[in-house]
Amino acid sequence: MPLPLRYPLGNLVARRARTLLTVSVIALVVVATTLFGSLVSSLKRTLVSTGDPRNLIVLRKGSTNDGSSILPLEAYQSVRFFEGVARDAAGEPLASPELVVQPFFHTESGGRENVLVRGVEKIALAVHDDVKIVEGRMFEPSKHEAIVGRGASGRYIGAKLGDTLKFGRGSWSVVGVFESAGSSFESEVWVDARELAADAKRPLPYSGLRLRAADGADMDALIRRIDGDSRWALEASRESEYYAKQSESANSLYLIVFGLAILAGIGATFGATNTLYAAVQSRRAEIGTLRALGFSKASILFSFLVESICVAAAGLLVGAAVAAVLGHIVSSMLGGIGFGSSTFSTSVIELRVGAGDLVAAAVLAALIGVFGGLAPALRAARLRPIEALRKA
Amino acid sequence: MKYLPFIWRQLTRNKIRTALTAGAIALAVALVCLLLTMPAGMDNMLKKLASNTRLVVVNEGGLVYGLPYSYLQKIRAMPGVVEAASWTWYGGAHDLDKGVEFPNFAVDPEAIGVVFEDYNITPDALEAFRRTRNGAIVGRGTLRTMNWKIGDEVALKGTAWPVDLTFKIVGEIPNDRAPHFWFQREYLDQALRAAGRNGLQTMGIAWVRVDEASRVDSLLREIDDTFRNSESQTASETEQSYFKNFFSMLQGLITVILLVTGLVALCIVFIAANTASMSVRERFGEIAVLKAVGFSRRLIFGTLLAEAVLLSTLGGAAGALVSFGITQLLRGASGWNPSLGPLGGFVVSQAIAVQGLFLALFVGMISGVVPAFGAARRGVAETLREVF
Repeated sequence: MPLPLRYPLGNLVARRARTLLTVSVIALVVVATTLFGSLVSSLKRTLVSTGDPRNLIVLRKGSTNDGSSILPLEAYQSVRFFEGVARDAAGEPLASPELVVQPFFHTESGGRENVLVRGVEKIALAVHDDVKIVEGRMFEPSKHEAIVGRGASGRYIGAKLGDTLKFGRGSWSVVGVFESAGSSFESEVWVDARELAADAKRPLPYSGLRLRAADGADMDALIRRIDGDSRWALEASRESEYYAKQSESANSLYLIVFGLAILAGIGATFGATNTLYAAVQSRRAEIGTLRALGFSKASILFSFLVESICVAAAGLLVGAAVAAVLGHIVSSMLGGIGFGSSTFSTSVIELRVGAGDLVAAAVLAALIGVFGGLAPALRAARLRPIEALRKA
Repeated sequence: MKYLPFIWRQLTRNKIRTALTAGAIALAVALVCLLLTMPAGMDNMLKKLASNTRLVVVNEGGLVYGLPYSYLQKIRAMPGVVEAASWTWYGGAHDLDKGVEFPNFAVDPEAIGVVFEDYNITPDALEAFRRTRNGAIVGRGTLRTMNWKIGDEVALKGTAWPVDLTFKIVGEIPNDRAPHFWFQREYLDQALRAAGRNGLQTMGIAWVRVDEASRVDSLLREIDDTFRNSESQTASETEQSYFKNFFSMLQGLITVILLVTGLVALCIVFIAANTASMSVRERFGEIAVLKAVGFSRRLIFGTLLAEAVLLSTLGGAAGALVSFGITQLLRGASGWNPSLGPLGGFVVSQAIAVQGLFLALFVGMISGVVPAFGAARRGVAETLREVF
């Protein structure tokens, strides 16, 4: 016959201070790992969600990013008419030539960062159709106007709608703010490509080309044709793969988070074990009585495990809530978390505790509960009723 | 000291609990030490590698904007300047499929050795570098990872400039934190002219060595003032503040790391406090007996507190040792990871290990003080009545 659930729960309430301390330990471990884990997954999410699987990025061969690539004008004029490139209603190819420059920007908190400024033409909004202007309007060419990503807008001085933004050699008026479903475009500033080239004194206006493949077109064939064209050494890749590659630098951080979770988890398990051992010790007489009354070893074991798992669950709930709140506070205080991707430009990341982070925290808490409770529960179950009662 | 055996016996009487508590504290202290290495590594690098008397002059707009090369001569002529040298990014890739694997710059061979005196490049290597037009001087780490040695000829394909160049490695930069590949500026200039382009008229960064630290501030002002109204305005700062700025974007990451460290430290306090209160509670009877036979309150308080402190210090010491060992292992594994910057250098220094130890000591005191005080204050008669 199993012990009623009220028994372990009642015990937790009866020894309030001890229960609270153990719950706090587990909660702290959950907060620490969740916070760190969500930082890495937010970063990864931002980078991976950038790029459209239907888009190709064309760079000069050997360039690992936009910033170090140069695209000859003739190459642009030729590639955009390749077969397989989508066209808009007016028959214009959906090919967006872009110039990337990384000037210094100053953060609200006094830092100086390299920010990715993308010089584009009007067609860019059609190729990157997840980029939506949510405030203001698109810039007009040759008026020194800029549109700013949501993340960059909150982080840098002069980047709000209506402000005058100073970077490079000139000043630009911010006429719009855009969003792109949380992708890393939101950390960028977009201006007219020709104005940017003039400002940066770049001999060629473009560094790379983004193409939208036509529906049903064979993307691999298009990639092969661009790569194989012997007139220019170009290299095409899927936009989503390009950004996935950029996010690889986050993988080493995952390793740190994993190590942190394991070490902290083992520590918390020790703490939980300790508490429960003490509980078993102080309840010897009770356990002996229960056994004498006819409760089986299994039901005692189970009851103690339930006690431990309840503590872990409480720790998880408190910890997850605190982590979510803390994450929000940290993120809004710092105006997003900056992270340098391998291109040295800054990605602004919103720290958000995601479902995956919570699942990981739940697994950790469950392991702490089970392993922390197992040894003391076994000891309780193995107590011989006669001895336990005699000592009491 | 004479009570040490007594304290030790108390600790060893519930071996499982003591071991678990010490283990938990050890793990937590190890974690704190490991986490602290990241921001500490950054400070360290700034202090050790970045010089206070070396200035960085870049275009105010950003690194990519470049500066006219003629600025270098003007800076050299300023009072207090020992020497100035330029770096210009070449973006050479050994294998185009892998991209740029190490930073490579066109530099001024006459000046570079003086400006980067602290890199300890041998005079022979510098001399060979000056004499060899296509000579290159390469960081030790890069030589190792690329499997090159002095005397090798290597070909790089330019990604920032449209010329491919072949170099002869003539020396090494004996500094593990400088994976650079330096070659003569003139070589790139001539190659560009041969390719029918204008020669090299710009530079990316001007490095300036100042004779005395006290002149740094005025020189920084002078440089920026001199170029204020010319075509390219400059932003000058010391190497230290330059790197600090360069990595300032990691500030958010560091905040999170420090926050997590604080949480883990708090965690240790709770674990230790829990143990201390449990072991004191179980001993109320004994403590009452001790008092009844004449042991003073102060002594009881002292021994109980000492017990908690000893336990957490032992745990902390073990933890600090473990973290020290882990970083020694990791050290070999971590290479040049530009996205982590100086956070990538996990090294638990002695200072951090000592910090961890003090943390444990502190935790022991905090965790022991309340239960020990309670036990010492508890009335004898009352307790004994409960027990017997």
